[in-house]
This record gives sequence, C-alpha cells and structure tokens, in this order.
Amino acid sequence: MKTINYKRIDETLYYDQLENGLKVYILKKENFSKTYGLFSTKFGSIDTTFIPLGEKTMVKVPDGVAHFLEHKMFELEDGDASYEFAKLGASTNAFTSSSRTAYLFNTASHEKECIELLLDFVQDIHLSDENIEKEKGIINQEINMYDDDPDWRYYFGSIQNLYHNHPIKVDIAGTNESVNKTSKKDLERCYHTFYHPSNMILFLIGDLDIEETFSLIQKNQELKSFDNPQEIIKEDVIEPRDIFKQEEILKMDVIMPKVMMSLKVNEILKNPIDKLKREVAMNLLLDILYSESSVLYEKWIQDEIINDTFGYSFTQERDYCFIQIGGDTKKPQLFKSEIQKSVENIDDFSIDEDQFERVKKKNIGSLISLFNNLESTANLFSRYLLEDVLVFDLLETMMNVTLEDVESMKPLLQKKYMSCFIIEPK
Amino acid sequence: MEQVYQMNGYKLHVIHTKKFKTNMISIKFQNHLTRETATQRKLLSLMLNMATSSLTSQKEITRFLEEHYGASLNTSVSTKGEASILSVSSMFINDHYIPGKGALLGDILQLLNDVFYAPYVFENAFNDKILKLRKKELVERIESLKDDKFSYALDRTFEMMGEGNPLEITSMGYVDDIKNIDGKDLYQYLLECLENDKKDVYFVGDFDESYLELFNQHLSFPRNNNEYRSYYIFSNQRDYPQEIIEIQDITQAKLSLGYKVDCDRLSREYYAMVVLNAIFGGFSESQLFQVVREQHSLCYYIHSSYDAYNSVMVVVSAIESNNYKQTVALIEQELNKLKDGQISHDLISLAKNMLIASLEKSVDSPSTLLAMNYANELIHRDESIEEYINHIQSVTKEEMIKAAQSIELDTIFLLAGKDYNENN
Repeated sequence: MKTINYKRIDETLYYDQLENGLKVYILKKENFSKTYGLFSTKFGSIDTTFIPLGEKTMVKVPDGVAHFLEHKMFELEDGDASYEFAKLGASTNAFTSSSRTAYLFNTASHEKECIELLLDFVQDIHLSDENIEKEKGIINQEINMYDDDPDWRYYFGSIQNLYHNHPIKVDIAGTNESVNKTSKKDLERCYHTFYHPSNMILFLIGDLDIEETFSLIQKNQELKSFDNPQEIIKEDVIEPRDIFKQEEILKMDVIMPKVMMSLKVNEILKNPIDKLKREVAMNLLLDILYSESSVLYEKWIQDEIINDTFGYSFTQERDYCFIQIGGDTKKPQLFKSEIQKSVENIDDFSIDEDQFERVKKKNIGSLISLFNNLESTANLFSRYLLEDVLVFDLLETMMNVTLEDVESMKPLLQKKYMSCFIIEPK
Repeated sequence: MEQVYQMNGYKLHVIHTKKFKTNMISIKFQNHLTRETATQRKLLSLMLNMATSSLTSQKEITRFLEEHYGASLNTSVSTKGEASILSVSSMFINDHYIPGKGALLGDILQLLNDVFYAPYVFENAFNDKILKLRKKELVERIESLKDDKFSYALDRTFEMMGEGNPLEITSMGYVDDIKNIDGKDLYQYLLECLENDKKDVYFVGDFDESYLELFNQHLSFPRNNNEYRSYYIFSNQRDYPQEIIEIQDITQAKLSLGYKVDCDRLSREYYAMVVLNAIFGGFSESQLFQVVREQHSLCYYIHSSYDAYNSVMVVVSAIESNNYKQTVALIEQELNKLKDGQISHDLISLAKNMLIASLEKSVDSPSTLLAMNYANELIHRDESIEEYINHIQSVTKEEMIKAAQSIELDTIFLLAGKDYNENN
C-alpha cells in the first residue's frame, strides 16, 4: 500500500493494486460524516467495437450497451441493489459517459457493508431475456426525455458534427432502434470483457480506517475468481482531420435560439502529463478569451449577442479532444460569426502578465475549494485516474503553468475545424 | 453548533469548523412575499452583484473575485411560504491554502458592504445601462424557463392552484412589471429593504474571534426589531380537483399533481408528513417509483415533494401523453392506500433511514449547514439536527395515516404532446 501526502492542501491518499488488477484508492477526510464510494470501469458509449475476453475476432455491439448494462446492474438474484443500499441508510446511483461507467454510494453509516455491497453488486450481473425486454421500455422513455431537451440536443449534436467515424458521436443511451436490437449476448460479452477488475478503479472518500478498509476489500476480492487480466483490444479508429458537418439547424419548441460552436483538435497527445499541461493551459486560454472578466464577454453582453447562459469547455479524454462554446442568443448568426472571428484572430490576441496571473489564481482557488465536496472530489479523481494522473498532479500543473504554455495553445484553435449547431424556435 | 453575536443591525451566526477549504459569508434579508414587490426584489438581486461604485462593471467585479483566488459573489431571491429572502453570499478559500501570504476576509467584507452601501448609482438611481441589460436578461430568463418543460408544468400548476395564496407568487418576477421599474424606484426599494428587512448574517468556516473586529469595521446595518412570517397553511374554496390540459409540440408529456396539506410546520404532524412524503414518492424505493416506473414501466421519472412552508405537496412525472389517465389513477390509488393505512413497516424503516442519512450528511456542506441553521431562524425554533432526527425516528404509523388523510388533491396539470387523444 502506498501513501501520498499532499501537504499543499492537507490531503492524504492511500493506494493499492490487488492481485486481480483492481486499483483501490482511499482519500481520508477527517470530521466528515459522509462516506462516498465510486466504482468505475473504463467502459463507455464509445467502446462498441472490441475483441471480447476469451474470443479472437473483433465484434461490434449495438450503440448504448454500456448504458444498458448500467441499468441492469442493480438487479440482484433476489431483489434490487438500490433497496439493499436503502436498508443500510445509503443512497446509490450510477452514470454512463462516453468514456466510463460508474456506480456510487453515499452514506453516513454502515460504511463497511456499503463498500462490500458496491463491489458485490457490480461484480455480478443477472441477465434474463425477460428483464432485458422490460428495461427497453424504460430506456426508450429516457431517450425520449433527452430528445426533448434542447440543451442536450445542441451539446451532443455539436460533438457529433465534428466526427466522421469516431464513436464519440454515438449517443450515450443509443437510439430506440439500437436499444431494441440489444441482445443478452451483447450485454454478456461487454460485461465479461470490460468489468474485469483490471479495467476498474474503486475510489473511496470519507473518515475511514485505512487498514481495516483495505483488509476488508482484499478479503472480499480474494473470495472471487476472475480470468487472468488481459489487455482489451479495441478498434483502431481512422478519423479524418476535417469535420463531418459545418452547420446544422434544428427546430424545437423553444422560446429563444441556442448556438453551440464546437472545435475539433486533431493533435492527440498520448503522455498523461503532457495532456495535463495542455488541459491546464487551454483552460486558461479559454478563460482569458471568454470568461466573464474578458473584454469579449463584456462586448458581447453589451451588444446583446450573449447572455448569462454563455459558457465554454475543453474536453480531452482517450483519443478525442474538442472545445465547445455556446449559449442562448437572440442573434444566432452574429453569435456564430463573432466566435469564428475570435478564433480567426487568435494570433493577434495579446495576453498580458497581470491577466494571466489573475486567471491562474482563480483556477487554483476553484480547484482547492472543490475538495469541500466529497462527491466532486471522488468524481474528479476517478476521471483523472482513468487517464493515469492524480488530481494532485493537476493542481501542481496549475501552480507551474506559464504564460508561454498558454500562448502555445493558440495554434490548436483553427476556424476550419469549427462546426456550428443551432436550435431555432419553430 | 451555532454561536450568535449581536452586531450593529444584525445577528452574526457563526458555524465554526476547520474541515472545509473555504469560508462562507451569507447575508439574509427577509420581508413579506408580495405580488407588488416580487419583481423589484428579483431585479434588485440581479443588480447588486453587477457593480459597485469602485468596481463599476461586471468585468471589474469578476476581476476582483478572480484576483482573490476565485472568490464568489452570489445573490438570489427565494420564497419560503409567505416570506421572501434576498441573499448576498460570498465563498472564498481559507488563507491557509493561499500560496505566499494572503488574507482575503477584510477585502471580502468590504465588498459585501459596498454592495449595499456603495452600489453603482448616480443621482439616487441605479446605472441605467446595467439596469437595461439586467431587465432584458430577466425577461429572457423568465421566457426561457418555459423551454424547460418540467419547470414550466410545475410553475403552471402553482399558478393555477395557488390563487389567493402566496403559492401563486413567483420569486422570478413578472414580465409585465419589468418595463415599469426605473433606476430611481429600484434604489428607493434598496433603501427600504435596508431599513425594514430583518437581517441575519452567517459565517461558516474557520472563525476566530478577532474577526469580529473586521465585521464591526466593515459591516453594519440600520437596526429594527421587525419579524416576518414564513410558513402558513394553504387553503382555498375548491372542493373538487381542477384539471388543466395544455398541448405543445413535445415528445413526452409532463404531468403534475398539486395537493393541499392541512399541516402546521410547528406541529408533530409535520414530521409525519415528511416521512409520508418520502414513502409516497420521495426516493427510489417509494411507492410511486415502484408502482408507476418499475411495475408498469410508465415513466423514467416520478417524484413527490412536500413544501412545508406553503403546506402543499406536488407529484411530477414524465409520461407518454396517452398514459395520462392510467398514471393519474395509479397515483391516486397509491395515495388512497396510504390513507387506508396500507404502509409496510419495511418501507417506513427504509424511508426514515434515508431521511436521517440525508440529515447526517448535511453537515458536510457549508451551504446546507447554513440553510439548516437559517431555517430555524425562519420558523423561530431552535432545533438541532439531532433533535430533528429524533422526531423523524419517533414518527408512528398512526401519525402518518392521520397526515395522509390531511392531503387533498387540488389541481392536475398535464402538458401533453400533439399525439394526445382525450378519448383514451
């Protein structure tokens, strides 16, 4: 077991990797009454083409399997995992993203039982033709709910339009057709392959006894047997540099138009620390350009091109990387051309040292305050651990970033890789 | 838990703890919720964090906050029954974690003082350009809430159900009022709030008594002994539930049922209602979730919530338009079971455990800790979390049956899609 004491913010992380490959992390938070556990797998909606464990050829499963499995996981042989957690006074939830699936519990008592239940219910699955059919109805309702949500539509639509082949364009829950096509065999193959402990991380945070907790987990895992760990072979996606679609307009029952600009970044980095440096520098660049303290923001607010729904983000996971900038607007064409202009003119945009220092301080403060929230901390740690870095590394990178690092991000913003998704009222 | 200091014109409530990375200060102004002042109050809250006389634009304020390691400055208006609460809050990281030497508290307190006493006004009127902008944004915000179909259905339910009660008044304000409010009126209104509102200030974090000096130096308000009511018991003349159906071009219908609850916030029945609501539709093991979602697959989402300040309960769900009648029938059936006493002991334990766990976890968040303490102030009762937990634990089945019987369906609102066929 390793201990990482991060003195800068008085946090201590304990880590061990078990024989079956499972990585276990505990962040000790004294005087907090909650314990939060997150059990995640490096399996998301993008992982639809792979060689199943024990087989030899590449298979493609219908879109939405990761999400479907998430739904089915809670069914136990006799009963329901949510119910079992509720009996322990804990609440539970799960989510699926493009790159991972996570199961979590949140409790103020019976921590040991909750940890074991979390491990047990995820490391076991009960699939029957009947229960699979029933779930399709519920999942289809969920898809319909998201279909009606303009914020989801423009967020996801703008990503889809950047990519020709990359499965990042696959809707997380799939479509009504792909859900209806999903078979028991599809679900079993994915489960067997991606839910192997060597592909998973258990992250616990709370006022836990470290020795006891590791010992509990060790014993729990020793009683189970898994196939030997194997590297999971996934399809090598050939993705052209250019974007799939330059513009899309969708009419929905909304009061005001919404515009999401998306920008594809083609230079994919492999080294985790390089990725971290890029992320920190890029986020600073975007903040300097577009945050509420920026000159552009002030101008666009005054000219009524944007309002307080305006936002932006940088996503860098696995082998995809993109920027999104969007919000509600009464002037969609102007919104689009202004953002495009800001990207076109990026080389002429000068950043002074004061501006840089100030935005750097803001980011440092935001990350430190995140540690107040156990859920956010666990989530952030898990997300970065699946990318092979610690949140502590993130904070250190932030402390050390320079103005030159930020300047070096400019060439990654190019107008020819931008797409525009507009939602218009009917 | 809470240490109270009498300061100039306000009570300073200190919740001292070292476990957070941040300190939080929240200033609460309380007054009556009225139709006449709702829009002014909302607009005032939108103006206060935009600028001060020394930081004369949003850009300047944002830069100040960024310089102070990402401190926040938030304003909001919320309603609690008959009361309208205007809050101005700031959260900032503890000096301990700032690289080098830094102290944020004095600057933050000065900023909070400036928000009230040095706003960006000229000749007793709020800056016209900023006001115009915020008015436009408020109109847009109110309009765009209609895009969120869940939110829209709920607002319409309260509007239709709440006639003659504070329930029908929204803290968001009204589009019709907005154009008539000018910078002079709004500044006058600020002065009235300073004079008449009941004021409480909360500090959550690593407090030191030496900070009292900083508070005295930077923050004081006019004194008054005003008290305002918050919770009340909802009542109207309606004997039969009203049904309202609206059609829009949507894929999935939003259903919302409003119930009157004859229950006093300060009575023992209140705790029984809280547990009952959890059992009915308050979490994933609830009757509504199990019957409507799990057994009948009619929805992905169904939830009930109990608002003790307005003494109403509401059930919301998203369904296929043509499953409307079946869904309502199922919901009514489940409520009737509760009225008849068909409540399983297992479910009672589960609900209590869930509620108690929620309460225990509340000490882990600065804002929840603050909200719980402030709730005590609003209802004029000093109840600790432990006492509240004991009350929940001791609720009996008989008390819950009595609480169920005090619930009466008042309004059904369905926002249906174009595929809705009223003959099914």
